[in-house]
Amino acid sequence: MVLDIVMAPMALAPKTFNVGETIRVSVSFKYAVGVNTTVRFLAGPYYTNIFGKHVVDPCVGRADISLTAVSTPTPQTADVDFLLVPKTNGGIDNGTYGLMVWIEGTNAVAEQDNVIIVSGNPTGGLDISGILPMVMMLMMLGMVMPMVQGMGEGVTE
Amino acid sequence: MELKTLALDLGVFRVLQAGDDQPYQAGWYVDPITGQRVFYDPETQNFYTMAGGVYIPLGYMNPSPKQVAIAPGEKLRITISYKYSGPAITGAIEYFSVGVYGALGFDEKLVGKNTRNLPASTTPAAYTGSYTFTMPADVGSNWDDIYCKIYNGSPSVPQNLFGYENALVIVGKDPAISEFTIADFVKV
Repeated sequence: MVLDIVMAPMALAPKTFNVGETIRVSVSFKYAVGVNTTVRFLAGPYYTNIFGKHVVDPCVGRADISLTAVSTPTPQTADVDFLLVPKTNGGIDNGTYGLMVWIEGTNAVAEQDNVIIVSGNPTGGLDISGILPMVMMLMMLGMVMPMVQGMGEGVTE
Repeated sequence: MELKTLALDLGVFRVLQAGDDQPYQAGWYVDPITGQRVFYDPETQNFYTMAGGVYIPLGYMNPSPKQVAIAPGEKLRITISYKYSGPAITGAIEYFSVGVYGALGFDEKLVGKNTRNLPASTTPAAYTGSYTFTMPADVGSNWDDIYCKIYNGSPSVPQNLFGYENALVIVGKDPAISEFTIADFVKV
């Protein structure tokens, strides 16, 4: 099956949301399929760094949409909801994110950068989760170094 | 259910008599349509063209002048036309196939046949033949090539082949998605 994807320019304005809120994404597309089938739509926020685009997995929402068999391209719409899971629950941090929607098992994907502004995560207090690996490494070094120094004792020339 | 039709023109052919009546003598010919110089080998009954110093069989597959979108369960009618002159022929085979054409030849997925009797004629007489396929539920998305031929009979007619590449757009069990866009997003 050849998927003929045409990406139309989008003009989505950025919107601000609080963590814990649900976002409904509406998509439009055309489809043709030989038999009645169900496809899974997924939507969620993503961020971009030097390694590429990364979807915030805990926030991804899913919706199964039934498609009736048609042999000529037919307009269709679909809605996908996803929840902005708070950072404290392993979810999304405050910041600006892109919005991505795709159809599982196909190369149909639509996205736009910097349209979801997330706020509402507590910013106060000491968050040690980011430095915890470094602390652990320093503690291990603290345990190992005395043992290494002890092995060197008693060696004379 | 919609019936969709493709048409092929096999051109003109004449009877291949048993024994010494070959359709062409060995040698170079000029295709009156394309102007291409081709070589005919009566032993293999094939035309050849020269490419890079090598004789290769003249291709029988051609780019399709149109595409037909078709889905499982729908019917596809392929119609051929040709002209014949010569003695009466009984039992000539009109052969229709849908499949996948590639480097290793034509992989036939669907085949249909008609048996035709052709009356004697001193001038080329026009004939048409057709076959209707019902596309199966498990039709492959790459079953997009077709070819037809006429052959056999008594006395035997020389085999005439003609086909189209990418003649079909198979609307299969996997959806084809296009114009996929985000229309809006809101808090609910």
